[in-house]
Amino acid sequence: MNIWKYILKRLLMVVPTLFGVSLLVFFIIHLIPGDPAQVMLYPKGTPEEIEALRHKLGLDKPLAIQYLDWIIGAVHLDLGTSVFSGEPVVTEIFRRFPATIELTLGALLIAVLVGIPLGVIAARKRNTLIDYSCITFSLLGVSIPVFWLGLMLIFIFAATLDWLPVSGRITMGLSLENITGFYLLDALLTGNFKALGDVSRHLILPSISLATIPLALIVRVTRSSMLDVLSQDYIRTAKAKGLPGQRIIFRHALKNALIPVITVIGIQVGSMMGGAILTEAVFSWPGIGTLIIDAIYNRDYPLIQGVVFIIALIMIIINLLVDIIYAYIDPRIRY
Amino acid sequence: MAIDKSNKPQSYMSLAFKQFKKNKLAVISFFMVMGIMLLGVFAPLIALEDPITPVLENKLQPGFWAGNKSHPLGTDELGRDIFSRIVYGTRISLKVGYMVIAITAVLGISLGLISAYYGKLIDLLLMRITDIFLSFPPLLLALAVVAILGTGLEKAMLAIALIYIPQMARIVRSVVLTVKELPYVEASRALGAGNLRIIVCHILPNILAPTVVYLTLLLADAILYTAALGFLGIGIDPSTPEWGAMLSNGRDYLLLGYWWVTVFPGLMIALSVLSFNLFGDGLREALDPKMDI
Repeated sequence: MNIWKYILKRLLMVVPTLFGVSLLVFFIIHLIPGDPAQVMLYPKGTPEEIEALRHKLGLDKPLAIQYLDWIIGAVHLDLGTSVFSGEPVVTEIFRRFPATIELTLGALLIAVLVGIPLGVIAARKRNTLIDYSCITFSLLGVSIPVFWLGLMLIFIFAATLDWLPVSGRITMGLSLENITGFYLLDALLTGNFKALGDVSRHLILPSISLATIPLALIVRVTRSSMLDVLSQDYIRTAKAKGLPGQRIIFRHALKNALIPVITVIGIQVGSMMGGAILTEAVFSWPGIGTLIIDAIYNRDYPLIQGVVFIIALIMIIINLLVDIIYAYIDPRIRY
Repeated sequence: MAIDKSNKPQSYMSLAFKQFKKNKLAVISFFMVMGIMLLGVFAPLIALEDPITPVLENKLQPGFWAGNKSHPLGTDELGRDIFSRIVYGTRISLKVGYMVIAITAVLGISLGLISAYYGKLIDLLLMRITDIFLSFPPLLLALAVVAILGTGLEKAMLAIALIYIPQMARIVRSVVLTVKELPYVEASRALGAGNLRIIVCHILPNILAPTVVYLTLLLADAILYTAALGFLGIGIDPSTPEWGAMLSNGRDYLLLGYWWVTVFPGLMIALSVLSFNLFGDGLREALDPKMDI
């Protein structure tokens, strides 16, 4: 099967998943025990107000029509309006999204730049103290709760040592022109180096907290996949040819050893969306995670639906990309 | 595997037990897991004080490092003894964990069995449905369920179980798919065994090992997610001595220097999660090293 055929097949597989996800998200509001409009306006809300909200959300129409309305709206990037703020859900999500992406990329960068070298070193120094410390480190990484680690980092580096800020994306009162919503990029574009430094300092602790789990997994997978590759015949051949150790590692081994690592990174980007919710809660990071938590507190169901739908959509796209990249870099894989 | 000199036939279980004993880390984790479970069972005997009633005149006292003998881990912002709250918290975490395991095991195994054994349309449909659930980040799925059902310990259990049912179903399905083609199943069918007999006598014993390993590792995850929901303040009533909620209550006091309110519950979460993870890993190595979970 050639790669295009595979991509097409994989794309077709997305369709039923997408349909199911949209159905599930649509039903969030209908699965609430009781009258959703009444629940949203609780504890105040006169019968007239409840009736008005019900009408506004289209809850008085037949279920099938409601679903059609919802899905047609979603295709046109209209996910309804937030009950709490009255703003379109899409506007709220897009306003918060850059913050989450910036945080996730920062964490991913740390996880990859630290994780892969550590994994390679652990594999090369197998069964030494260095190897054992890397394994212990990766075990601890998946066991320590992200939110607790975040709080400890705040306590040590922000509250006690006062090296880094406690929370938020930027110091209050510092001006930064908002162009893309990615503060680092905005600061670079406007040549605002004072803000660039401030934004970077705000990004460090949240990124480290969010990076721990992917970092731990990348170390583990890089190590085991590197050990696998290093025992292959072609590595022995390279050694027998008298190639220097560095060259064998970088030119021959790493290339093949990284294939499973890429899959893990892909899967982790999805899970990091979950981790980002907790990290954002710890650092009051104004991203999509704090948005959904606030929405749950406020019983703002259109907003909850919107955020859940967009995140699931992103997960589906990432999984699709990972599968395609995987098929591309490892031609042996065809399902 | 070492060749047994006595030439005595050995059961699968005794071989697995031998393998497990060789792994030092696994043995240590076994005792830690036992310790945590006993802590939960005997909480009223071990705890020093009532974990819920506030004693405001004792608030934010430091613990043993300041020579405090009556509150070894200090007290929280309402004067409650942190040690006692952590001990009682074990009960809550384990209770959620056990319930999540029970729900996941029953539903996951049934769905996986049905899917693999009856195949065709049912399989296709069930696997598509698991695909849908697997395309949500786990925590988000749990949050969505809590958003629908409202807060409370029972709802949190359900929310967390929903993360794992699809995964469990997948694992069971893949094992059953390989087992059901084996000659002895065919032989049994040729002898006239019905579906139920084949499932109970031939299929179920085969899924036992991966299920036990998966459920042990799941307990670690369930503890972590319970704490996460407690921390976000949307899972559990804040006065409950739940580890995550304790952390979240203490965060404001952390910046003021009252570190013990957050440090100890967090350590307890990490310790329990680590123990159950190590124990699960040890079980996997002992029961089937090739198992892929």
